Amino acid sequence: MKNPLIRTLFFTEIFKGMALTFKTLFKHPVTRRYPLVKVPAQPGFRGLHALAKDNTGRMKCVGCGLCGAYCPSQCIHIYTSEGEDHNKVVERYEVDILRCIFCGFCVEACPFGAITLSEHYEYANYTREDFYMTKEKLLANWDTYFEGEKGKRYFKEFWRPMSDDFKGNPEQAMFSKITRKERT
Amino acid sequence: MISSVTSFLASIVGEPMADMILNIVIILIKVAVVVVGTLLHVAYATYWERKVIAHMQLRLGPREVGPFGLFQPFADGIKLFFKEDIIPANSDKPIFYLAPVIFFSSALIALSVLPFFDGFAIANINVGLLFLLAMSSIGAYGIVMAGWSSGSKYSFLGGLRSASQVISYEIAMGLSLVGVMIMAGSLNLTDIVKAQYNYPTGFYAIPQILGFFVFFVAMYAETNRLPFDLPEAESELVAGYFTEYSGFRFAMFFLGEYTGMLIMSSIGTLCFLGGWTLPKFVMEALPFLSRLPNFVWIVVFLAKVYVFMFLFYWIRATLPRYRYDQLMNIGWKLLIPLALVNVVLSGTLKIMGWF
Repeated sequence: MKNPLIRTLFFTEIFKGMALTFKTLFKHPVTRRYPLVKVPAQPGFRGLHALAKDNTGRMKCVGCGLCGAYCPSQCIHIYTSEGEDHNKVVERYEVDILRCIFCGFCVEACPFGAITLSEHYEYANYTREDFYMTKEKLLANWDTYFEGEKGKRYFKEFWRPMSDDFKGNPEQAMFSKITRKERT
Repeated sequence: MISSVTSFLASIVGEPMADMILNIVIILIKVAVVVVGTLLHVAYATYWERKVIAHMQLRLGPREVGPFGLFQPFADGIKLFFKEDIIPANSDKPIFYLAPVIFFSSALIALSVLPFFDGFAIANINVGLLFLLAMSSIGAYGIVMAGWSSGSKYSFLGGLRSASQVISYEIAMGLSLVGVMIMAGSLNLTDIVKAQYNYPTGFYAIPQILGFFVFFVAMYAETNRLPFDLPEAESELVAGYFTEYSGFRFAMFFLGEYTGMLIMSSIGTLCFLGGWTLPKFVMEALPFLSRLPNFVWIVVFLAKVYVFMFLFYWIRATLPRYRYDQLMNIGWKLLIPLALVNVVLSGTLKIMGWF
């Protein structure tokens, strides 16, 4: 087989290639038939935004504006006003999804775990307005994607609010994990 | 039943005319059966090709239309039929119209001499093999005309490449079949198959191994398939000679190409693999086989053709395209000398009485 003359005469390389393609003929295809068979999002996936509600159903967001300050693409717009007993009222909380790069910095920044990223990734639509998330839409997203056990687990494991545990979860998706890797 | 039809016709147009009309009708029915059968085969050849190549590349292939995507060929056909027929402004219009017709009809005409089983050929002529080679050359005219008349550089280059390629490889292919002609002593395809049946090995691929190899390589070049698909090299020439064609005219080129593959596979089957017959020793070992009716043997014929078709797909999925000078070198410096050696050897052995 080493002899180049024999290699040329009997096309050993062509036959090797043919054997390989024949083997792959019986392998399982890697194609995912996406609209028919949906692949579940990986743990820690950063999808569509949602504004968290607490147990009483009130919005957790206090309107501090840290998320908007952190946001690299500056797609979070917060408008607040002074309420009756001098507390801050979040009037508008808007995320321009078309500008968002889904870095998750807003979630990292939020001290109250008020903004979250869900596992939802299928939000194709026809108009730009559909991608401009208002406060009402973001709160509705919370009800849609963080309802039930799965959402609770997801929220606890990956977007744990800093107000609950200021040390940060060692299994938290973003910075803590990366720094731990760098140390070793 | 046929005799009553004949007597009925004879009462109207007279005895000699009646026989002629009946003959023509029978031939027309045969033509319809063969053409429809072939086109269905072509339709599913595309489906099968897409499936085989997809699975070799770890993909799935067509799956959406019908169960397992089985209606995909018809969906494609309907789409092509209703597509807009675009004629380029600076094309040579009469030739542009004519080219796909020549290409497709030459491929279909070649079907007329193929014997699918014992006694079934539309025309059982004595120069069958020569006729097939002639028809495959006429198909090249369609390609050259399409390339010339499109008024596009891609098409023109594709047409030129195809002309030189087909001319070079036609010689090798013709010479490779000379060995078979010498051994069978006939150009009639039915006689060639019968001679193979009476030969000890049952098919000519064993003694004619050189000729079979040359034919096998030339077959790919003649049908413009990978690894010799330079006339329609997608990565360099968009689509080669049919770049400017769309709609049904494109479909005719497409059908012609796949019919050409079927015909080349059939020539290989008939001349080297014993056509519709099984080797004689198999038939003697299993005597009940000889009691089967004639038309059953089309299964054997088609099975052998499918082996060739599968090889077309398999090689397409495996090999990259040759460079143009490599293609010409293989044709002129390897295949033609080999074929000539094969002719000399076969002739000598025939005279010495070994074959």
